[in-house]
Amino acid sequence: MTDAATVRDVAALARLTISDQDIENVTVEFNQTLELFDALGTADTTDVSPMINPLDTAQRLRPDNIETLVDREGLMQNAPASEEDYFLVPRVLD
Amino acid sequence: MPGQFETISSLARQLAKGSVSSRELVEDAIARTETFNPVLNAVISLNKESALAAADLADQARVDGSTSPLLGIPILHKDIFCTRGVKTSCASKMLADFIPPYNATVVDKLQEAGMVSLGKCNMDEFAMGSSNETSFFGAVKNPWDVHRVPGGSSGGSAAAVAAGLAPMATGTDTGGSIRQPAALCGITGLKPTYGRVSRYGMIAFASSMDQAGPMARTAEDCALVLNAMAGHDPLDSTCSDLAVPDYSAVLDQSIKGLRVGLPKEFFSSHLNDAVAKTVTAAIKELEAAGAKIVDVSLPSTDLGVSTYYVIAPAEASANLSRYDGVRYGYRCDSPSDLQDLYLRSRTEGFGEEVKRRILIGAFTLSAASYDQYFMKAQQVRRLIAEEYQAVLKDVDVIAGPSAPNTAFVLNDDSKSVTDMYMEDVFTIGANLAGLPAISVPAGFVDGLPVGMQLIGTRFGEAQLLNIAHQFQRRTDWHSLTPNLEGLTR
Repeated sequence: MTDAATVRDVAALARLTISDQDIENVTVEFNQTLELFDALGTADTTDVSPMINPLDTAQRLRPDNIETLVDREGLMQNAPASEEDYFLVPRVLD
Repeated sequence: MPGQFETISSLARQLAKGSVSSRELVEDAIARTETFNPVLNAVISLNKESALAAADLADQARVDGSTSPLLGIPILHKDIFCTRGVKTSCASKMLADFIPPYNATVVDKLQEAGMVSLGKCNMDEFAMGSSNETSFFGAVKNPWDVHRVPGGSSGGSAAAVAAGLAPMATGTDTGGSIRQPAALCGITGLKPTYGRVSRYGMIAFASSMDQAGPMARTAEDCALVLNAMAGHDPLDSTCSDLAVPDYSAVLDQSIKGLRVGLPKEFFSSHLNDAVAKTVTAAIKELEAAGAKIVDVSLPSTDLGVSTYYVIAPAEASANLSRYDGVRYGYRCDSPSDLQDLYLRSRTEGFGEEVKRRILIGAFTLSAASYDQYFMKAQQVRRLIAEEYQAVLKDVDVIAGPSAPNTAFVLNDDSKSVTDMYMEDVFTIGANLAGLPAISVPAGFVDGLPVGMQLIGTRFGEAQLLNIAHQFQRRTDWHSLTPNLEGLTR
């Protein structure tokens, strides 16, 4: 069983907050999901290598050439707050 | 209405003859969407002006001699594909105002083939869901019964095609998100082999399983669209450079002697009895066409659910870490500091199911749990993939149900989170193993569509499409359409 404090710790790592009102329900569902995963323990995986890519192939690389794929202005227009070419965030250094 | 419930193949013939124009098809599609979408909620962006302008260009291109088979055919895109200058929300508050400055490769390719984009389809938020109820923009309704779900996550695409709002729509499939909604809405949906279609510009959920594919009325139409969608893309390092065959050219091959494997685990206690009978009857049609039915076993089928729900959320938690409220996407009001900005932007911007999966993913990737869950799941994934490979050495194709049930009622509180995950039990194997799979309409239970799933060998889309086409030549389940009378608001 994973307790509410651990669930809150994981949420903090994922930069999420869980309200006091929701924590009980979230913890119950979290544990239900982990119970679903218990079945994995029944599989004998001795000497089985993990499968990361379903085709088991190396990723293809392309020549390291400089290309302009997207326009900077178009990207900056989606910024919630910006000034000139910079993204604005709350002050980080005092 | 010229385009109502017609196939791409039929519309292409009419366009070539000049008996209808692309403008007329687009005007009809817009009218139908404006009539039925207020109830269905399948389309979340309708781009009338740009669609009509693109239709006029297609009509002019035809006058100038272009003969592309997809020229002037209307299409809807799942709102997971980036569309230049057009809002791409992934059905999330997080991206509700996101306007990409580039197109997904799939969008570019279909546009180059002459297809006319009408707009964007609703979906489960960030493609996480099997009912389309997790969308920030509200649930999609199933055109066969508006009190029921269309399936998910490509539920908007499936409902739109089923209701004849467009002859086809793009979908994506990470654990069944093309096949399950195709089954529940009575249309045909193909998930290609992992790497067959570029993922560039497709908003990432679980990168080792995400794959785009066509959702249309028939296998013949899926073949036409896959011809244009598939192929190498230097912008996706996992996209295969294997040559793309002409999928339409191989649709008339006999399936006499074809070996069809029926995994006993696909006809287990998870499967609704009436759905089982319907799928069994559909498989008999393949037998009647000369296929040989062979009993096979995929003993790790149930383990697939656990494996998938470890791997997919783990990859999602990494992929979705980019949404931090800084560069694009939702930002909370008046953050007190940078941590507050991250925490509140993500907590307020993501819906419940997305947060649930991020949380599970962050947990299984954490140092204390990594070996027990994430590493173990990756190992079990290999066992499952090897089971499929072994079975597909003995048979040409695997057949079974696409989903355990027909469309379930909206807001069904009796379904727990893990009950919902079990809806994917028959589809996730193909994603874990990277195999192509198609869902074809196979009959009805109590007026609701049932899908038969066919799973093929890696890059065996041509064979799957041919088998599905041969089935559709012998049956008319794919031609039946929902009664939309009274479906207006």
